[in-house]
Order: sequence, then structure tokens, then C-alpha cells
Amino acid sequence: MSDIPLSAMPAPAVSAPPARRQARVPVLVVLAILWLVLMLVVAFAADLLSPFPYTALDLRNRLSPPVGMGGVWLHALGTDELGRDVLSRLITSIRMSLLIAFGATAISAVLGVTLGFLAAHFRGLVEQAVLALVDFQASMPFLILALAVLAFFGNALPLFICLLGLNGWERYARIARGLAVSAGSQGYAAAVTGLGASPWRVYGRHVLPNIASTLIVSMTLAFPEIILLESGLSFLGLGVQPPMTSLGNMVGYGREYLTRAPWILLAPSSVIVITTLSVSLLGDWLRDRLDPTLR
Amino acid sequence: MLRFLGLRVSRALLTMVLVVTFAFVVLRLSGDPALLIMSADAPPEAIAAFRQAWGLNDPIWEQYLRYFSAIFRGDLGQSMRDGRPAIELVAERIPATLALTLPALAIKLGLGIPAGIYAALHRNSFADRAVMLLAVAGFTVPSFVLGLVLVLVFAVQLGWLPSGGQESWRHAVLPVLTLGIGGAAVLARFTRSAMLEVLGQPYMRTALAKGVPWARAVRRHALPNAAIPTVTIVGFMVGSLLAGAVVVESVFSWPGVGRLLVVAVANRDLAVVQCILLLVAATMVSANLVVDLLYGVLDPRLRSAPRGATA
Repeated sequence: MSDIPLSAMPAPAVSAPPARRQARVPVLVVLAILWLVLMLVVAFAADLLSPFPYTALDLRNRLSPPVGMGGVWLHALGTDELGRDVLSRLITSIRMSLLIAFGATAISAVLGVTLGFLAAHFRGLVEQAVLALVDFQASMPFLILALAVLAFFGNALPLFICLLGLNGWERYARIARGLAVSAGSQGYAAAVTGLGASPWRVYGRHVLPNIASTLIVSMTLAFPEIILLESGLSFLGLGVQPPMTSLGNMVGYGREYLTRAPWILLAPSSVIVITTLSVSLLGDWLRDRLDPTLR
Repeated sequence: MLRFLGLRVSRALLTMVLVVTFAFVVLRLSGDPALLIMSADAPPEAIAAFRQAWGLNDPIWEQYLRYFSAIFRGDLGQSMRDGRPAIELVAERIPATLALTLPALAIKLGLGIPAGIYAALHRNSFADRAVMLLAVAGFTVPSFVLGLVLVLVFAVQLGWLPSGGQESWRHAVLPVLTLGIGGAAVLARFTRSAMLEVLGQPYMRTALAKGVPWARAVRRHALPNAAIPTVTIVGFMVGSLLAGAVVVESVFSWPGVGRLLVVAVANRDLAVVQCILLLVAATMVSANLVVDLLYGVLDPRLRSAPRGATA
């Protein structure tokens, strides 16, 4: 696929048929939710679940294949060139990748919503400035911007998370601005303003809850993108740096052993694919359920 | 129409100015390039000479203006590594990248759009389900995974195609497929939902009600209207012809712009990174501008009303 996350472009929402069978959740979505729960459990309980420390070497079992390919249960998913347990590394990587993805999604949502509200509240010059920034962000492939920043600043984990947090803020900003403007013309915002509420209160307590479902849906749709972006950059060796490990990092490392030990690369690849697929399925379903107007 | 044109062109220029400013600010914020390039224990007079040579001692606004005017003269600085003009280094990589991205674009358009239209016209059929499943899979599989799986199958197991390098056209097959398949999936999904949206519009019902045959209604009413959102994403694809293969070029060791960028980032060769950034931005902004003008052609309603930022 193309490096630029084209899924970033919001697909025009299909005006959902007025489904009345709302109680039934499609099987695929159930599976997706189960997988995501599993991933969360793994991420939270990483230390309890991993059989070995993720940097531990087992020099007698180097490049040991996984169970089913002639391996031993000691290293269920095999080991890499240094005899490090693939399962343990995978678990630690899942935690790292999810941490980054959640952190970055939260940052971009907060940033985007704040700017969107500012634009809606002050209008005029502020709004034009925000819109110009939105245009700028939307017109540049984010991967290139991210690479440029990494080249200029070097890499450290907090910086990396913040950088990924800049991905997609413009979509939240657009949504928040549009919805806040239309909320302003509805009675409730005017009513609380008339009662003397401060702008903070109006936006935080009244407008935000009203647009929350739309925002949650767009966060779900943006989440896989961040995972793909993080793993892509880490794959290139420009994201998470060793000795820390992330899913993309593992794939990048495993690439060297593509012919001799494909399992090093296949395990993290499948986790990336299944996870992004699950979040996408969940996001699409949520969008159809909660917010068929979202574009 | 003139007003529409002027508005769009000035917006494009503004975006370019923002990109240039972004590059400059980030460059200045990132610390002292002299210390980045020279080793920490370089003699102070060497560092001072370097500063002098690159104009790092002047006031910041002067540097900014000089930076701007240099860009207008097409001078994008020299690679801090080997001293060659950055633009030259980048330019010699462009053909290699286009050799991948142009055929890939053809695959995306040729496969993605028809598949999307077909799926929409046969909604909920088996073919529709299959196309959608493939489409979702296509954009959730990262390009490096798809590329490596293709290598594993076609290069390692079957031995049909080489796994990397750039000696013959056969070396281009796997990278082009990797790029094309993913993009086609995204485009198919997008085209399908654009078509479905249009098919549900009242004007379609009107056309059918007044007796226009289905095929003609689709051709005359649905397709042109569905083209408008689709053009946006195709514009994005055209705009990323230069930058869209960063990961894939790395997977296949293809000596294109993307590979150069990754190496330049790793070496912190700032002039080259900047040059690529500006070039990509220029391509993207021009593609967006063309898309905006195409909107005007496709949708006469947009010609008069100034568009908001909802594009």
C-alpha cells in the first residue's frame, strides 16, 4: 500500500439504511472487540505474561523455530538471532505500540478540538489562522513531515509520541469547529451563555458532550493510522529505538532474517494487521451506529 | 470563476509559504547545525569557520530572508555530507521513484475505481462483499508487511522475481505491486462509498422515475457526481508520486527519493531533507490546486461560491 495513510481521507459516509435490528452485533465486530480486549490485557499485564525478560539472551537456542515449525514449548514463538524469546519481545512490543498509539491519539484529539473550539469561538482572524494550518497539515503527507522533524530534532520517545500526536489533528479541528459553530446557533449554547456561563464552561460542559460521539468515532478511525505510522517509522529504524522495541521495530529487525527465520517478522506483522483491522472494523461499525452523518 | 481561481491560487501559495517557514523554523529550533555536523571535539576555529561559511552568525530574520530568496533562486543548499547541491542529489533520484509510482498509480486507478463502482452497483452481492473485504485488508496491511510477504512468496519460495535492487524491469514488479495493491484497495473503498452516496440521492430517483434507463442514469447522473469526492483522493495520490514510496523503496532497496530521504534523515543531512520536503510540498500543493480547479469543471455550483475549508 501507499506509505501515506490514504485511509486518512475520510470515506464519504454511506447514509446508513435505517436499521432497526440494533441489538445484533456482527460476528466480525465481536471478534474484533475480543481481539482488542486481549491486546489491552496483554499491554497492561505485559510483565506478568511474558515468559522471559524481553532482552534476555538464550544463546543455546538461537533462531529456534516456533512450535509447529519444529520448535520447543520453551520458546513458543521461537527466538531470534541472539536467542531472545520472540513471544516476550512481542508482548513488550504490543505494550509499546499501544502506548504510543493511545498517547498520540489523545494528543491529536485534544489539540484538534482545542483549536477547533478556538476557531469557532473567536472567528475572524483566529479562525482563518486555524484554517490555514488545517490546509497546510491536510496538504502534506504526514510521513514526510514526521521524517523532517525527526531529522531535525533527533529521536526520543516523548518527542516521538508528541510528533505522532500531530497526525490527524486537523480532522478533529474541522469537526470540532463545524459542530461548535452549529451548536452556537442552537438554543442550548446561547441559553447557558445567557445564564452567565464562561466560555470554558460552555465548551467544556455543554458543547463537548454533545459532539463526543462524533469525536470518539473519528478517534477510532484514526487509531489504526497511528499504529501504521508508528510501525512504519520504527520499521525504517527512525521510530522507537533499540533497546526499546515496538511492533514495527521487530518487523524491521526480522527483515534481516527473512529467509532463515521468517517467524521473527511474521509474529509482529500479524499482530499489526489483526489489530488495525479490528480497530477499523470497530470504527466503521461505531460510525454506522452512532453517527451516520460523519464524513 | 476568476475570483474562485484567485482564491485557490493564493491559498496554494500561502500553504507553500507555511511549508518554507516550517522548514526554516524547525531547522533553527533543532540546535546548532555546526555542532551536529562537526564532531563534538572539533577545534573551535573550525566550528567558527563553518558557522561563517553557512551564515549562522547573522540575525535570525536575515537568515530567514536569505533562505527565502535562495529558494526562489532554486538554491536549496548543499548536502552537508558530500558538498553537492541538494537539489542535484534529489533530482537524480526522481526518475527511479517515478518508475515505481507511475505504474503503481495506473494499477490503483485501473483496479480501484472499476472495483469500487462495480461493488456499489451490486451492493451486498458476493462480489461487493469480496471487494470490501479486500479493500479493508488492503489498507490495514502496512506496506512493509505486504512487501515482505510478497518477497517471501515470490522471491524466496518461488524464486520468480528478485527481492531487491534496481537492475531490470523485473526488479520493479514487486515494489509496484506492493504500492498498487494497497492504493487500489483504498481507492475501491472510497469510490464505492462515493457511489453509494450518490445512488441514494433524490436526483437519481427522479431520473429513474421519469423513465431514464438504469444504465443511462448511472452514466449521466451517478458517475459524474461520484467523481467529485473520488477526484480528491486521486489528487492526493498524484501529489504523493514523489513521496509515496518511502517505505516500499526501503523494503526493496530501490534507490529513489524515499530511500534518499530515509538515509538523509538517519544522517541528519538537513539540506537534503529540506529539499525533499519542499519538493514534496510543491508537488502536493500543485496537485491540490489542480484538483480544486477540476472541482470547478466538474461541479459548476462550486465556481461561484467561495469554498470553505471543508474540502
